[in-house]
Amino acid sequence: MMRHWSNALFFLITGACTFVGLGLLLAILAAITFKGLSSLSWDFLFKPMKEAGASGGVFYNIIGTVILIGTALIVSSPLAFALALLQQVYLKKRSLRRALTLFLYLINGIPSILFGLFGLTVFVQFFDWGKSWLTGGIVLGLMILPTMAVAISERIHAIPQAYFETAAGLGLRPAQIVWSIFIPYSLNGWLSGSLLGLARAAGETAPIMFTATVFSGATVPDGVQESPVLSLPYHIFILAQESYNPQMIPNLWASAFVLVAMVMVLSLFSLPWRKRAFEAKR
Amino acid sequence: MIRGEHQSFSMTKAMSLGFSLLAFGFLGCMVGLFLWQSLPVWQHEGVLGYLFGTEWFYRADRFGILSMVYGTLAVSVIAVLLATPIGIGAALFTAEILPASLRRGVKLTIELLAGIPSVVYGLLGILFLRNWIYTLLEPFDPITGDTLLTAGILLGIMILPTVMTLSEDAIRGVSASYRDAARGLGLTSFETVRSGILPIAKPGIVAAILLGLGRALGETIAVFLVVGRQDNQLPESLFSLRPIIEPGQTLTSKLGGSETHLAYGNPLHWAAIAGLGLVLLTIVAAVTWLGGRLAEERHYNE
Repeated sequence: MMRHWSNALFFLITGACTFVGLGLLLAILAAITFKGLSSLSWDFLFKPMKEAGASGGVFYNIIGTVILIGTALIVSSPLAFALALLQQVYLKKRSLRRALTLFLYLINGIPSILFGLFGLTVFVQFFDWGKSWLTGGIVLGLMILPTMAVAISERIHAIPQAYFETAAGLGLRPAQIVWSIFIPYSLNGWLSGSLLGLARAAGETAPIMFTATVFSGATVPDGVQESPVLSLPYHIFILAQESYNPQMIPNLWASAFVLVAMVMVLSLFSLPWRKRAFEAKR
Repeated sequence: MIRGEHQSFSMTKAMSLGFSLLAFGFLGCMVGLFLWQSLPVWQHEGVLGYLFGTEWFYRADRFGILSMVYGTLAVSVIAVLLATPIGIGAALFTAEILPASLRRGVKLTIELLAGIPSVVYGLLGILFLRNWIYTLLEPFDPITGDTLLTAGILLGIMILPTVMTLSEDAIRGVSASYRDAARGLGLTSFETVRSGILPIAKPGIVAAILLGLGRALGETIAVFLVVGRQDNQLPESLFSLRPIIEPGQTLTSKLGGSETHLAYGNPLHWAAIAGLGLVLLTIVAAVTWLGGRLAEERHYNE
């Protein structure tokens, strides 16, 4: 009898944990959605900010965030493909391949503020770019590099052996095999890795606050030096510190909703691939 | 197999190696940069003086980071204490009790929620959590709701998805034959988990906790917004918990603050800031590396 009581208790406690954990996170999402939607309008999405964020919209903040993550994608893609090919094709020794995996793993763990500090030292100060969208893109690109490289690498690993044999049988040189098999067949890994990485990059504040973004007074950049952009996360970060002013609250919620929606859409698009990986594992 | 073949030089290979080197170069630079930039402060304060110094007054050229290390450890420990039981409990329920279809739903939801940006958590911390904490702490005469405790709780919620989803992976990673054998013996779910599943999944679960810890140690924005950013706060005795319910400063909240901009003109002050980066990087890298080792061990056991 004791055994069944302990089992029932086990169900109860773990069930309560699930309820609390899931409930908490869903409540957060619900709060942002309801509060955000009630203060959202077309004008908010398509008008620039006014009165230091108390009125107007977040048009240029959205544009800025898109510029930053677009640049990050361009910076990160060639590096990620190179690292994935190195991992799966060019590194012969098992120990070296494992070292590369560990390296990517460690990079993935580096706190994002340190990427910001790095960008501040190297690009903003040594190169004297000042705050620039390009620094932000480079820094975010480096930050999401492991996510992208691992996604590509896993896809390359999953390509059926027969494909290489056929290609080699047709007399293709190794470089041709890379371009005709490895890269085309790992494109969906690149896509889902990018979406996941960009979802993370879009929401980051710490790497861009010293390097790429300002609170007001920027639109679309027209050069590299001293050309910052506005961005959604930094906008929320600054306004959150002004939240004692009740006028700011509706705009804060709406901005948070727009940012969360952007991040969720990016991660949702990467779902089909993740679901497949999830099923393959079971 | 192409991997085994002899490969001659090609443009493609050269490009791949070149871009990889660029990636290594950038990231190797980062460590080197923090080391090099922080040299003056190590000379000025001495290694021990910098790490264990209790006073940070940049106008007086006093740079000791102990109170920030304390703040970082305090908020991260609170976060882990909060996220671990709930995360593992939820992982056990999801992996062992929920039917497959629900399990997938829960798992995908949690993974999506892991993507909520930290600035949004910070916003919720400012609008709600710090007021709740203030009310809760009323009997202790709090100065404000911005405390190390507030930051720790917020971080706990933030790392919950990480801890939960990775623990769940570790638990599901245990071969089904253990469950079948346990069922054959007539064991209850609880007994199966306690004597069969948990011992095998343990390295993976510890890895999940360490990765959560790594994230908590390095989180900046959410902590910055609710931690109070009060310098030089240390407990009077080893067991005094009073500073936990007072404003404090962490390594990351200092790095995210205005001093980082201010410092550049003064080489010593800048070195002290770069040193914070180096210390943070070292702590996080050690925790992540340990977590990675454990996660790898799990794969070899399978």
